Amino acid sequence: MTKRLLAFLLLALPACAAALDRSELAELNDMYRGGKYEEALEGYNKAIAADPSDPWAWYNAGNALFRLNRNGQAVYHYARAFTLDPRSPDIRANLDFALKQTGQALVPDGVPAALHYLYYLLSLDELKALAALLFWAACLAGAARFLMDGARPGVLAGRAALAAAALLLLSLAWLGARRTSPFTSAGVVTRAGGTRMLSGPGENFKTYASAPEGRLVKILDADDDDYYEIGLAKEGIKGWALKTEIDRL
Amino acid sequence: MAAAAAALLWAGPAAAYLTVTAETDRTSVEINENLYLTVTVAGDSASVPEPKLPNMQNFNVYSSGRSQSISIINGKITTSVSFTYILTPRFLGAQTIPSITVSNGKEKAAAPEIRITVSKAAQGAAQQAKPARRAAGGARAAKGDQLFLKAETDRKAAYVGEQINFSIRFYTAVPLSSNPQYIPPSFKNLIAEDLPPVRNGETTINGVRYSYSEIKTALFALTPGPAQIKPASVIAQVSVDDQLDPFDPNFFQKMMAMSGAQGQSRQLSTDQLDIEIKPLPGGAPASFAGAVGSYTVSAASDRSDAKAGEAVNFSVTVNGSGNLKAVTAPKLPDLADFKVFDTMSSLDVRKDNDVISGRKTFTYILVPRSEGRKTIPPVKFSFFDPKTGGYRELQTEPVTMNVEKGQQEGRSVNFAGVAEASQVTPSGSDIRYVSEETGGGNLPFLAAKAARLPLWVHALPAALLALTFWLARLNRFRADNPLLFRFRRARSEADRDVDEAEALIKAGKPNEAVSLLYDSFMDYLSDKCGAKVSALTMRKAVELMRARFPRAGDRAADEVQELWSALELRHFSPEAAGSEGAGDLAKKYSLLIELLEKELK
Repeated sequence: MTKRLLAFLLLALPACAAALDRSELAELNDMYRGGKYEEALEGYNKAIAADPSDPWAWYNAGNALFRLNRNGQAVYHYARAFTLDPRSPDIRANLDFALKQTGQALVPDGVPAALHYLYYLLSLDELKALAALLFWAACLAGAARFLMDGARPGVLAGRAALAAAALLLLSLAWLGARRTSPFTSAGVVTRAGGTRMLSGPGENFKTYASAPEGRLVKILDADDDDYYEIGLAKEGIKGWALKTEIDRL
Repeated sequence: MAAAAAALLWAGPAAAYLTVTAETDRTSVEINENLYLTVTVAGDSASVPEPKLPNMQNFNVYSSGRSQSISIINGKITTSVSFTYILTPRFLGAQTIPSITVSNGKEKAAAPEIRITVSKAAQGAAQQAKPARRAAGGARAAKGDQLFLKAETDRKAAYVGEQINFSIRFYTAVPLSSNPQYIPPSFKNLIAEDLPPVRNGETTINGVRYSYSEIKTALFALTPGPAQIKPASVIAQVSVDDQLDPFDPNFFQKMMAMSGAQGQSRQLSTDQLDIEIKPLPGGAPASFAGAVGSYTVSAASDRSDAKAGEAVNFSVTVNGSGNLKAVTAPKLPDLADFKVFDTMSSLDVRKDNDVISGRKTFTYILVPRSEGRKTIPPVKFSFFDPKTGGYRELQTEPVTMNVEKGQQEGRSVNFAGVAEASQVTPSGSDIRYVSEETGGGNLPFLAAKAARLPLWVHALPAALLALTFWLARLNRFRADNPLLFRFRRARSEADRDVDEAEALIKAGKPNEAVSLLYDSFMDYLSDKCGAKVSALTMRKAVELMRARFPRAGDRAADEVQELWSALELRHFSPEAAGSEGAGDLAKKYSLLIELLEKELK
């Protein structure tokens, strides 16, 4: 079993190799350094297309977009990088900086920074994997406890199963809490100048609010072909906005 | 050099230090002269803080330039920066330059105050000059024209970063009773540098002689588009009784030396000046980083022989006229033979002939990777020359050095380690630089894979848990109810024994078959009755069976006794048992089991 697991890991690791090699990335970064942001962005976008799970491709593209004054797109790209690697200080710093350009902040007012860091310590995928791992650990330790019923190792296995089950409950609670995060079921207004919020999914409805470019919004309903129903938690309002003006996280 | 004062304030551990000294070129000065104040700040970090000049009401202060020297020996940095100021006295008598302090956040140093004696200007020259000027002056100015202010720039349009000289002149043809107060203009889209000292002179305008005082400022535009110099003002007290002669060569200083005199207050303001800032033309070389002016560039290393792994100071010096503060470090070419560590810069600025010029040196720490003859290729530096309206790209000569084998391959050199005492002054914020990293790492990759496993995979451990739970319950039940399980399995074990016995009979071993059937029958009855029957007599065993199964019929009891007797007989008298008898017994046993399974419930 151990050998099979190791074999799986060895086979799996090459698959996570980066879409860009170091020299290609250095070339793109040189373009960025020389102020050729459009050219650099094109390369970073190719890296994203090749491996959408690479947070650094999103981060670098966000930097190029920020330099090009496309703040909405920059926020979106930083947010994508943040959801993939929430522990990176660079990603956090740039996301926070870009959010502040649009009147937002990564750490909401009144929330201790340490608590906010802990809340986002793991990405959603990592949280799900942790929950799955704890579930497996609890089940296997429980099975060992039943198989060695009455023996001392069985008692120890039972305690391990209970501990894993308790941690599993905690991780599920954490996962549930993260469902309310601003980055879950969310999108970013990427249209320059912001987006209009209509009272219904169509041009015949009244415009009664607007969301500025770079604003993080909750996506409440995505069933319509052309419109998202979006919510602005801070203002307590919701409305419909064109899907082409909002990029979903 | 008349006076010097120095103070060293050593704070904290001996490893770090910060010092400031202040000195003037003389300790006594005439009211119509200037004196130079040089403040030198030294420290053991890459940069040292600028001195904070105290409020000096008794002097007009103008920044004249700065000169910086840095030495790096074995990675230890010593920096010394001299700031030069021109001081114009405003009052006669003993004056004081207060203590000048510097602080880098951790340490503070102070230079003691300096006493200056300000005396009257030499009278002889003034008295001789006065009648001549009176004679030459001729007419007296009309009252409205007796005082006026004139501001102008040397150009109405300039490129971004090109020096623009701004001049403001205060003219007076009447005596003043006190020093005028100068309110400098504010600037839009321009940064300013003083061009001291204040120039005084006389001139004739429309037949009227005026004494004037001129202050010049160098301006540099930040971005293309309009730039503005907002109005500047002078507030002057016009003397009622002609206490001061405007044609006195010491007029300006005298008027500044007077205070509290009675007079009429006049405020003069200039108009706003607009300057058009032109963008730099296209076609800039790749090495262009925004430098505007006229420069030369050179490169040198601090040694021609080095060892692998040891730090070498490689300096690129940009020399010339322009806003040197805005000149950024040239990008080094690819240096495969060297590791490149921190860069730091030193700046010397001069303001001769109203031109901002000087030298900026960028020092790179290079560490040779291996021995051999190594060459640092030319470093390119380009700038925009506003005089020619075009770009120029310069490059340094290549620098070659012999590198011997060293003992400290790739030793890390970092200015940060020795710059602990430097004060961090945030001047803005920006996003962090692009990352050299690529790929998401193994943990997020595995996490993503695990998170996307199909749900049925996670059912496996749950099924295993349920199975083991059921098994554990079963085992416990069996442990708690051993007789019940023996009762239930009695039939299957008896059937198995019958099969085995028939095989033995076929193999020609009837005696072993009968023994097996006898033992099997005893076990069957024991399992059914919950007691070891073989230890009982046949009668007691049948009684026990009747007691345990009251609904069992007599036929079952009779057949049990009959089979028991037959098996005992054959078992204990094997010679009487033939092959046919063993086979009959096996059939009888089989039939009896079927009967007992119905009866013993």
